[in-house]
Amino acid sequence: MAMRFTPTEMTPAERALQAEVREFLAAEMPTGDNTPGNDRALGMGAGKNKEFSKKLAERGWVGMAMPKRYGGHDRNAVDRFIVVEELLRAGAPVGYHWVSDRQTASVILKFGTDDQKERFIPPICRGELGFSIGMSEPDSGSDLASVSTRATRAEGGWLLNGTKIWTSGAHENDWFVVLCRTSPMEDGNKHQGLSQLLVDLNSEGLEKNGIPFLDGSPGFNEVVFNDVFVPDENVVGELGMGWAQNTTEMAYERGGPDRWLSAYGVVEELMRHHAGTSLEDRAAEVLGWATARFFGLHNMSFTVARMIDTGQAPSIEAALVKEMGTRFEQDVLLRLLEFVEEEPDPGSMLLYQRLLAKAILTGPSFTIRGGTVEVLRSVASKGLRA
Amino acid sequence: MTATDPTTDPGMVDELLVDSAYRLFAGVCSFEAVQKAEADGWAPAIWDAVAEAGFAWIGVPDTAGGSGGTLADACAVLLAAGTHAAPIPLAETGILGGWLLAGAGLTVPDGPVSVVPGATGDSLSATLNGDGSVALAGIAARVPWARRADRIAALVGTADGPRVVSIPGGSGAVRPGTNLAGEPRDDVDLTGVTVPADSVGVPAADATADNLRLRGALSRVMLMAGALEAMSRLTVEYTEQRQQFGRPVARFQAVQQHLVWGAQDAAITKMAAQVAARDASRDFAGATFQIASARTIAEGCASTATRWAHQAHGAMGMTQEYALHHLSRRLWSWRQEWAAPNEWATRVGRMAESAGADNLFPLITG
Repeated sequence: MAMRFTPTEMTPAERALQAEVREFLAAEMPTGDNTPGNDRALGMGAGKNKEFSKKLAERGWVGMAMPKRYGGHDRNAVDRFIVVEELLRAGAPVGYHWVSDRQTASVILKFGTDDQKERFIPPICRGELGFSIGMSEPDSGSDLASVSTRATRAEGGWLLNGTKIWTSGAHENDWFVVLCRTSPMEDGNKHQGLSQLLVDLNSEGLEKNGIPFLDGSPGFNEVVFNDVFVPDENVVGELGMGWAQNTTEMAYERGGPDRWLSAYGVVEELMRHHAGTSLEDRAAEVLGWATARFFGLHNMSFTVARMIDTGQAPSIEAALVKEMGTRFEQDVLLRLLEFVEEEPDPGSMLLYQRLLAKAILTGPSFTIRGGTVEVLRSVASKGLRA
Repeated sequence: MTATDPTTDPGMVDELLVDSAYRLFAGVCSFEAVQKAEADGWAPAIWDAVAEAGFAWIGVPDTAGGSGGTLADACAVLLAAGTHAAPIPLAETGILGGWLLAGAGLTVPDGPVSVVPGATGDSLSATLNGDGSVALAGIAARVPWARRADRIAALVGTADGPRVVSIPGGSGAVRPGTNLAGEPRDDVDLTGVTVPADSVGVPAADATADNLRLRGALSRVMLMAGALEAMSRLTVEYTEQRQQFGRPVARFQAVQQHLVWGAQDAAITKMAAQVAARDASRDFAGATFQIASARTIAEGCASTATRWAHQAHGAMGMTQEYALHHLSRRLWSWRQEWAAPNEWATRVGRMAESAGADNLFPLITG
């Protein structure tokens, strides 16, 4: 199958939205602030700032594609693409609402009950509800269908037991969607009998243990369930259909700008640092290579969003973009080192140096989080021969 | 074929025209025909079919002897030509040489035209005589199909400003050369050749040396985008058929990596190429960034994708009897045409630098 990447472009209304977001961000996050502790974020690894999330929501930029009757704005994937691209580009603190906005609201809208939609989507759209992702387990990473967290029948609901791991933001977020086994595996068909449950991260019997990232920063967690009670009304969609729901959850969002903008802030700050001095040819060449690739990836990612809106189900295209975009994020850092002379120091007095150090230290996550490049290659290559 | 008049948007491609271009190239650019073109240095049957359909002159105004249509249409036809490794001077006849001639009010012949690309080693110089003729000296380097062109268009500097000269085919001494795909890239010693006044014109306002170079670069972007797409498809097909260890080699993860990376190289190049062509067709002066970026992307992808495709093909891809080399050898050639080492990436970098940090992202997103 040929990839269906047809160029698209912004309508006047979409351009106006882009301008509006740029104006908002220029006021909210003025550039040139070099104070340590105030650093812009690098892509979706952004910190959580509930005030900022609320402010964005007030502008109508959280849960944009959700229906108005659930507090959304009846916008589409392209509008969300435009807003998110600008937020990530600016290094905005989008962490608190990030997962809710990107995937949880869509899953609930698509598979949830009316009651779930009314309970969860409006607060998500207000920027008041932070979700984590409850997929990975100590023994289930890329092979997610092998999850062993299990829910057993209880009066009016389920008792959850097991362990989730690498759960980003579980210590600060409110809820997460847990993929678990609700009926035993039959005939080795591991895709059957899985369900998605909405679980309050402050439930009784739920234990959160922080796992420091390699540079000592917080973020990762292990979440242990000891007979955590989950009422029936928190089962998302159809019991036993969790696998299909889970695979749809990330299928399209994979092609978003969060998959190629993680190193962008380093490039922009490096240019700011060099403003007023002429770049050496070698530096200009690297900057040109990166800029050209940003241009190409922007257009591909934008097209994926347009395809979602025109009902073309771009799951293969999205996998292709994520695989290449995340490798590019790592390549950018390597190529910058062709001309950056200072040794990296996370505590440097220079913002671009701090960002570069942070990007190098978090770089390994780019090609792993949200599906490893190895898994994505397998998904994409099936699409190529289909 | 005459392209339909551009409606309101010159960035839109005439899809019917492009469909018929794909059909025509698929019909005439058989493996044998492309192979024979290399041995003979010319492909008369392919040229005749393409010329008959008018595809060589898309983007050249019909009032000047062209086929009409937009630059976007011409670029889409070049992409189709790249897909089929069409061994003819298509860009040279139309959007490069034809464009120069038409803009200068000179006759666009109905045979193949070439253009002097100003490649490394070029020493062509010109003197404007009192009677309006132009005396040439030096070597026009790496002129595509010079030996077969009816006319060679060149943009030259004179004491009276730039001139377009329409050099008759057969002028000067041709030293035959080829690119890595065996396509003629001849050096022509034009010392002592005088181009008569009726074949000399003042270039159109937009026919600057830089715009010619940008057009040359854009032409190679389109050809590379087409070849990369075809190469990706060929590689997927081959690895599905080729069995080792009891299953198609495409089922091995290590091979899947080559397939996916090659498909990505093809997809990002085509995307950048089509955006550049669209924007250049609307406002050429405003599309320098897009063209230079697309050229930068294409060059890198041509290098990596040929590697993945050959690796996935194993020994079969190294043989003359299998079509991969029609694409890979062209990609290895085109990536260096209309380009000095790092020229285009550096140019994008300088544009980014002058945009500055605050305006870098607006530059990227258009």
